[in-house]
Amino acid sequence: MAQTQHTHSISLGDANTDFGHLMGSYNNVIYKPDDDARMLRWLSPLEPNHRHHYVRSDRFDGIGSWLLEASEFREWRSGEGGADKAVLFCYGNPGVGKTYLR
Amino acid sequence: MRYASSLVIDSLCDQAWEGDIAVAGLYCDFLARREQTATNMIGAILKELVHRGGIPGHVREAFQMGMRGYRGRGPRIMDLLGMLRTTVASISQVFICIDALDECHPRELFELLTSLREIIREFPAMRIFLTGRPHMVENTQGYFPKAIVVPMTTKTEDIRNYLQMRLGRDDEPEAMDSDLRVDIMGVMLETVPDT
Repeated sequence: MAQTQHTHSISLGDANTDFGHLMGSYNNVIYKPDDDARMLRWLSPLEPNHRHHYVRSDRFDGIGSWLLEASEFREWRSGEGGADKAVLFCYGNPGVGKTYLR
Repeated sequence: MRYASSLVIDSLCDQAWEGDIAVAGLYCDFLARREQTATNMIGAILKELVHRGGIPGHVREAFQMGMRGYRGRGPRIMDLLGMLRTTVASISQVFICIDALDECHPRELFELLTSLREIIREFPAMRIFLTGRPHMVENTQGYFPKAIVVPMTTKTEDIRNYLQMRLGRDDEPEAMDSDLRVDIMGVMLETVPDT
């Protein structure tokens, strides 16, 4: 795929055409073609991905990383221990975290 | 708590490139209660799991079947749970993260968590990360008596990192020196209760 694109851009030498191809390949890789998008929408109208991108854009490096280092988290994440260790519940007040720091 | 959830989701996703791992993240939201039904949430989890690896054949077939029905009906929760089982069975490690359980309608939460509990019984390697306010601890343990429970507090270390970041972005860098920086850090951290 990358090979084809490369040849194309050189032979045409046209920045716009090249851009169009890049966009096309980007859409194919990252976004699904129409049918797939319809199927995903059919599975659920919710788009948790959008919410995730919004929340993560507000994060600061290094803050909260103690959780990822905590033994409870690491044990849970390892996937060992079967169903008994399947659920990790973190509780706190809404003020904890980002909003507390503002 | 959203903060912790997004951090955990990203950390798991980073690992997902290394192997046969899939991660689904869901943020419950009081304002979105009407559409955050158990059916839609199970569907969203499934959507997240199949998104990266390409939609599996069994989901495509279910979609075609659904489209054949009257005006193309949406999937029922039983259909979605069936697809979720088949999907989980095909991936060696599945992580599901659900943020702010207390913001979910109790009836929908019941349906969601009892469904996930059934799936864990079948697939004990599956991992679920949940967050919620303190009053949800007992509630969650009702569904998962052996859940590992971790309190989230703002650690002094977090505040130190945050202060350092903010001091680094100071508007008047010429007025800042290492002594002043140490003084500010000292005074600010003194006001923080021990955690």
